[in-house]
Amino acid sequence: MTSHPIAKPRPAARRRPPRQARHKRLWGLLLVTPWLLGLLLFKLVPILASLSFSLTDFFLLTPNEVDFVWFDNYLNVLRDDKTWAALLGTLQLAAWILPLQTGASMLLATLLSSKRLWLKDTLRVLFFLPSIIPSAAATFMWQGFIRPGSGWLYTLILGPLGLGDLIRISSRSPTSGLIVLASLWTIGPGMLIILGAMQGVESEIYEAAAMDGAGWLRRFFSMTLPMVSPAVFFSLVLNLTAVFGGAILLDRGRSFNSNLSSYDNLVYYVLFRTFRLGEASSLAWLFFVLVMILVVILFWSARYWVYYPDRENGS
Amino acid sequence: MKAGLRGTLQRLRLRDRVPPRAWRVAGVGAVNLFAWALLAVYLLPVAYMVVTAFVPTEQLSDRNAPWYPARIRTFAYQGEQYRLYEVPLPGGTRSLAMIAPGTFSSDFLDPQDPAAGTISYTGDWHALQPVYQFHPVLDSFAVLFGAVQFPRMLVSTLLLVLIGEIGVLVSSVLVAYGFARFPLPGGELLFYVLIATILIPDKVTSIPTYFFYINTLDWHGTIFPLVVHLYFGNAVYIFLLRQNFRSLPVELEESAMLDGAGPLRRLWTIVLPQSWPVVITISLLHFFFTWNEARQASLYLSSNAAFMPVSFGVQVYQSRVPIQNVIQASSLLVLILPVIVLFVAQRFFLRGVIVTGLEKRRGL
Repeated sequence: MTSHPIAKPRPAARRRPPRQARHKRLWGLLLVTPWLLGLLLFKLVPILASLSFSLTDFFLLTPNEVDFVWFDNYLNVLRDDKTWAALLGTLQLAAWILPLQTGASMLLATLLSSKRLWLKDTLRVLFFLPSIIPSAAATFMWQGFIRPGSGWLYTLILGPLGLGDLIRISSRSPTSGLIVLASLWTIGPGMLIILGAMQGVESEIYEAAAMDGAGWLRRFFSMTLPMVSPAVFFSLVLNLTAVFGGAILLDRGRSFNSNLSSYDNLVYYVLFRTFRLGEASSLAWLFFVLVMILVVILFWSARYWVYYPDRENGS
Repeated sequence: MKAGLRGTLQRLRLRDRVPPRAWRVAGVGAVNLFAWALLAVYLLPVAYMVVTAFVPTEQLSDRNAPWYPARIRTFAYQGEQYRLYEVPLPGGTRSLAMIAPGTFSSDFLDPQDPAAGTISYTGDWHALQPVYQFHPVLDSFAVLFGAVQFPRMLVSTLLLVLIGEIGVLVSSVLVAYGFARFPLPGGELLFYVLIATILIPDKVTSIPTYFFYINTLDWHGTIFPLVVHLYFGNAVYIFLLRQNFRSLPVELEESAMLDGAGPLRRLWTIVLPQSWPVVITISLLHFFFTWNEARQASLYLSSNAAFMPVSFGVQVYQSRVPIQNVIQASSLLVLILPVIVLFVAQRFFLRGVIVTGLEKRRGL
């Protein structure tokens, strides 16, 4: 990676006394101090605190009687079927949501960057619109929309098609299906980023390839896809973090009484219904480790499918 | 499959038979049609919400009712209102007003020609389809405004946005400038730590933080837990700003430095004026987040009835009310301000997300 453009040797910079360099380093430190303090107070200390909580029998109602139980909490939650069910449910959800979101945002970005499309800006805003809907409002919207009997899915789409029974079959697992469907409503930022990357691909390359007789399918897979793969990777990271509850680019907030994943539900249940802080912390830490492993795998896999033009030629 | 499809297409020789102009027009038409059709499907739940918000409550339990807000058309005759029904008669189906319902036969009147006298229909009138007319009402909004103190919640939310926005903008800009232009101990490593913090799931930090705010600081019912951490910068925003600052040419700042301008002065007079699209983007991101956020508010503000942000207050109400039109009306109410903001600021915002995304790509 290229570092500072400032590194170009200039006569004035070379004669700069060391006092000024120290001054500069001091200022840098001063400027990032708020973030360093925040890192300590809101990330490092809480992470370590929850690690130490997880090794105790911390009960929220008796915060003064806390004993170390070492790995008992971990053994308990690992032995509990509820943990595995919640974990599996969350991973399953991610396995549905992530490919669907990535595919949909690529499709939408391709459509919205088409040269034949009119009113592109308007369409872009309208397709982006669901991404700013508060997740709570979105949940109620979808619930009303798929309600058997009165929802439009039934009265306007499935009913006239004679598929009214379908909704009764699928309503056995309404929430997870709903979450997967509604996850298509959060692709806005990722879609925009891929769209931006697609617009960055020079059209001369396309025209040259088209001259050489490459069909659109071929052009998409061997040209567009590699060129936008960094953007796809980035949007995948965004979506992954969103699914697992990290910070995301456009956070729509969460509804207060329904959780995205079953693992969230389990942690909140243990915390706010049984008040076993130690056990909840061990659940959270297990999840933290799991997500970090997934993130490392994702970043490691990037070298095999993400194409960086400036890294390829030297450096 | 590919060869077969292509072979068929080539045998048809569409490109040679159809004139190029017509070919182009057809392509443009197909792409545009597809885009708008897709949009219609994509936004259908939103349309459902908007339409349902204006539906009269009686219509919700009416099985025959159409999808749009409607009521049964009536006919005023001799001081009374009579409902109109589609009545199948030997001469064809006619819209008639029912003046005397009966179990086996009912009497109807033609609204066009009431003087012609009653028309009798033999059969159960319950099986007849009523005649509907478009009739949106504001009932659900009246119920909503009666139950939820929307103006006060709006003030609370905007206050929360303002307090958080100041903190997060000032601190993130300063930190990002530090990351972009100054040598830091640890160098790149510190920047990777910043990225790593974005990926940490909130579960692992939220439990001790909650315990600390509630038990140690006794901040229950205050807005401190929602805003204090913002004054220490937000990793995502710092990241976006840093990438943007680094893409700016450094020469202007250097010459200002030689003129004796300090770092803060350079940031204020040179860097920020060039960075306002990104600054607008992150302030909008933060506005959307604060407006939509309900989890934190439910954890810390639930005991404080006087200070309730909109999305939390409305959600509490929604979870208690079982009537669809009121639920959808409250969703509409929560949605309206962010949508207006999005449409007003779309040019900066969408552009900003694209640009910052690209910058980000370079950084990763």
